[in-house]
Amino acid sequence: MARWNGDRSIEIVTLNLDGEIFAIDAAHVREILDLVPITEVPHSQPFVNGLINVRGKVVPLADLRLCFGMEQHPPTIDTRIIVIEIELDGEPTTVGLRADKVYEVTEVAAASLEETPRIGMRWRPEFIRCIGKRGDDFIVVLDIGRIFTRFARTMPAEADTPERLSA
Amino acid sequence: MSVDPADMFRQEAQELLEVLEQNLLDLGLTPDDQDLIGSAFRALHTIKGSGAMFGFDRVAAFTHHVETAFDQVRKGKVAPSPALIQVALAAKDHMRMLIEQPEQANDAAGDAILKDLQQVVDGVEAPAETAPAPSAEIKPEGLVTWRLRFRLAKDSMAMGTNPLLLLDELRELGQATVTALTDEIPSIEEIDPNCCYLAWDVKLTTDRPQSAIEEVFMFVIDDMEFDLQRIDATPVETTAIAAPGTVQPVEEVAHAAPAGLQKRREPPSAKTAAGSIRVPAERLDELMDRVGELVIAQARLRQVAASSHDGQVKSVAEEVERLVLELRDTTMGIRMLPIGSLFGRFRRLVHDLSSELGKSVELVTIGEETELDKTVVERLNDPLVHLIRNSIDHGLELPEVRLQAGKAAQGRVVLTARHAGAQVLISITDDGRGLDRDRIRARAEENGLIVPGTKLTDNELFQVLFQPGFSTAREVTSISGRGVGMDVVKRTIESLRGTIDMTSRPGGGTEVTLRLPLTLAIIDGLLIRVGSGRYVIPLSAVEECVELSPEEDARSRGRSFLNIRDELVPFLRLRELFNATTAVDPYPKVVIVSSGDLRVGLVVDQVIGDHQTVIKSLSRLHADVGTFSGATILGDGTVALILDVANLVEFGQVREEKLKAAS
Amino acid sequence: MTKTVLSVDDSASVRQMVKLTLSGAGYQVVEAGNGAEGLAKAKSTAVDMIVTDLNMPVMDGISMIREVRKLPNCKGVPIILLTTESDSEKKAEARGAGATGWITKPFQQEQLLAVVKKVIGG
Repeated sequence: MARWNGDRSIEIVTLNLDGEIFAIDAAHVREILDLVPITEVPHSQPFVNGLINVRGKVVPLADLRLCFGMEQHPPTIDTRIIVIEIELDGEPTTVGLRADKVYEVTEVAAASLEETPRIGMRWRPEFIRCIGKRGDDFIVVLDIGRIFTRFARTMPAEADTPERLSA
Repeated sequence: MSVDPADMFRQEAQELLEVLEQNLLDLGLTPDDQDLIGSAFRALHTIKGSGAMFGFDRVAAFTHHVETAFDQVRKGKVAPSPALIQVALAAKDHMRMLIEQPEQANDAAGDAILKDLQQVVDGVEAPAETAPAPSAEIKPEGLVTWRLRFRLAKDSMAMGTNPLLLLDELRELGQATVTALTDEIPSIEEIDPNCCYLAWDVKLTTDRPQSAIEEVFMFVIDDMEFDLQRIDATPVETTAIAAPGTVQPVEEVAHAAPAGLQKRREPPSAKTAAGSIRVPAERLDELMDRVGELVIAQARLRQVAASSHDGQVKSVAEEVERLVLELRDTTMGIRMLPIGSLFGRFRRLVHDLSSELGKSVELVTIGEETELDKTVVERLNDPLVHLIRNSIDHGLELPEVRLQAGKAAQGRVVLTARHAGAQVLISITDDGRGLDRDRIRARAEENGLIVPGTKLTDNELFQVLFQPGFSTAREVTSISGRGVGMDVVKRTIESLRGTIDMTSRPGGGTEVTLRLPLTLAIIDGLLIRVGSGRYVIPLSAVEECVELSPEEDARSRGRSFLNIRDELVPFLRLRELFNATTAVDPYPKVVIVSSGDLRVGLVVDQVIGDHQTVIKSLSRLHADVGTFSGATILGDGTVALILDVANLVEFGQVREEKLKAAS
Repeated sequence: MTKTVLSVDDSASVRQMVKLTLSGAGYQVVEAGNGAEGLAKAKSTAVDMIVTDLNMPVMDGISMIREVRKLPNCKGVPIILLTTESDSEKKAEARGAGATGWITKPFQQEQLLAVVKKVIGG
């Protein structure tokens, strides 16, 4: 197995998506909200097809379950929205992430994916930033920036929906 | 949101007074401790300085004397005797009182303490505040022309002085002609780029007094050569620039010596000219934000009042709504500037271009008084410059060619600006050769931008001109034709939430029309419901709302038009467009909207009512969804999307044409 | 491009005032509480201008100015000191150490802005 150097550690927020545990770098996280009313955006990419109101600011809402081909069950009382800030095209952007449950902010020793090939193979390696170890458990830390860059590219619009026609 | 500075000062002062007390007490035990003395002095110094700045004048005045006494201690002229420490502690108590309970602080007691302090310090007087000697202000006598020759110290740039900013400041005083004197620049091997080798000869015509000119140099006046003369009357030629610090006496004018550095600078007051005031743009932005928040809050109030049975609440809510509307309009009005300020600059541009390109051009401007939001006006400069250049460079023909074509030798470029609903229309029209459709088409197909054989309207074809890198110019001139400009123009206009269209007549000229929203922030909107979602339509685009009768509803299935009062209007069913899944409403409404000359009817489930819409931009993640131009927050806190009418209208037209072609 | 001003003063309320005034006018403000911190900030951050008090603990203003002038990345950076009027000796000393100009204390917001604009423009 991997040798944990121990000198690299990372602070993460752990969350649950359709029964699976993931984490994201706490540096991105601004706050965690209870579920609020979501406005659907017709013709947007399914990955970010919602908008929410965060204290007067209109923030897009993303559903990571779509990146992992998970089923989109209806929300429960544990559902939360993690408000993060990432860079998109060089600009800082505030986005909400839907999570089925949020556990905690914790610090873990980090190791790169190369050092832990057996764990990473379940998920697409480009979405994984590193693997965190807490006690005996391994936690997949997502590369949230890359996920957004990959999924936020304009997908071909359906024939009957208005795209940007005029300049 | 921000902390009250006075409270911050009080808190800080308390801490400092604690420190001071400790220092004084410790000093009683170890009177030689320089660190303690330094610390006590700094505490006093800070309280005095901050106190003055935040309006605690009594504290500042009192502390000043205590500080001065301690300065003597710091310099070693006075020993920190037990007597001194005693008085200092009393002083500290008094200072505390002045800060915490100023109304109880007794000035007489304070004076007594200061007297004691003075006695202990052995009659060393606290230095009287030297009243700054008022400089002899030379009254401005209308316009006066000056000749200023100056040379800065070689190390002045290394020490942070920017000669260009000094020259700019001089230019702000009036008409200035600047000549650089290069005689002292060494050979290139010897040049130290950190050194200033230049001197300047400036002729300045201004109505400001001499002191204003000297004030420009207030930080450097001690280390420079400075020769200022008035030259309306008999000019006295000075061949050499005077030695540092001194000034050559001139017959006419009483030369005030370089302005007394002790004088306190007058705070440059807000420039009042004919009742106007200068305000930093950021403050206006903040004001807009606050007004936007107020509008949202008022929407919530309205909801609450609507469901209340209290007549008083309802009537107050109505009053508040009226006031907020007025406030909104007034605030938006503050930021408006006439576009004439931009148009004026273009005269020079056109003049330069026409001589550079050898074409005779007349520039006509219409609608200069049309007002736009300040930020919009600023950001329009570059796109308009580019479009004008294009017109003159590519659009207009050379005079000989024009004459041969039966046109006047002089070409014409017309800039117009006008309001149309909630939009501003700006157009740049030239009477040149027009756009060559075939060449554009060929080039577009060559570049793979258009599939050969596709039928396109003129407008659609001309849109390819906005693609980056596209250019049909046979040669790339230094001015335009590089193909880098038009896509930037388009992006700028889009970022202002506007649109850009081109029309052209071969041989007749080209017209570029920019359509921009009048305001970027708050608009009147019509709130509608489609399925379970609510949306806002800019009210300015709405022509009317009609009910869709069941018969017409049935008749319209499979057709592309609705018959509204015997007029055929293309329509879009928003339920279909937005994939609504809720039960169908029995009486759908049609909201007829227009964009330019085109109309479309939007079939919705319910028209809820008007809504003051504070526009929030959509993030990058949704920027590509053409249907919506932004979002807003409703009274109940949910987000509603704002429909992009131009986009929908065009989409409706295209759909209609497709349906027509298919049938 | 937004210009950055380094504000060095051991008084939090002065720093607060400088920050409010300058950031309201569109400048970016970074802060330090004494000369040593100010020097450290000047080394690590690209600043367009420095406004500093004279009397501070750990390292005073004049020493800081002297050290800042030695830094290669601070060539030509204007340094403005905050001074009371009775400090004419200090002013001369500060100029010798490399200060560009001064603002007298207590100062109004407009005075601060005018000097900043004079020295680094918009």
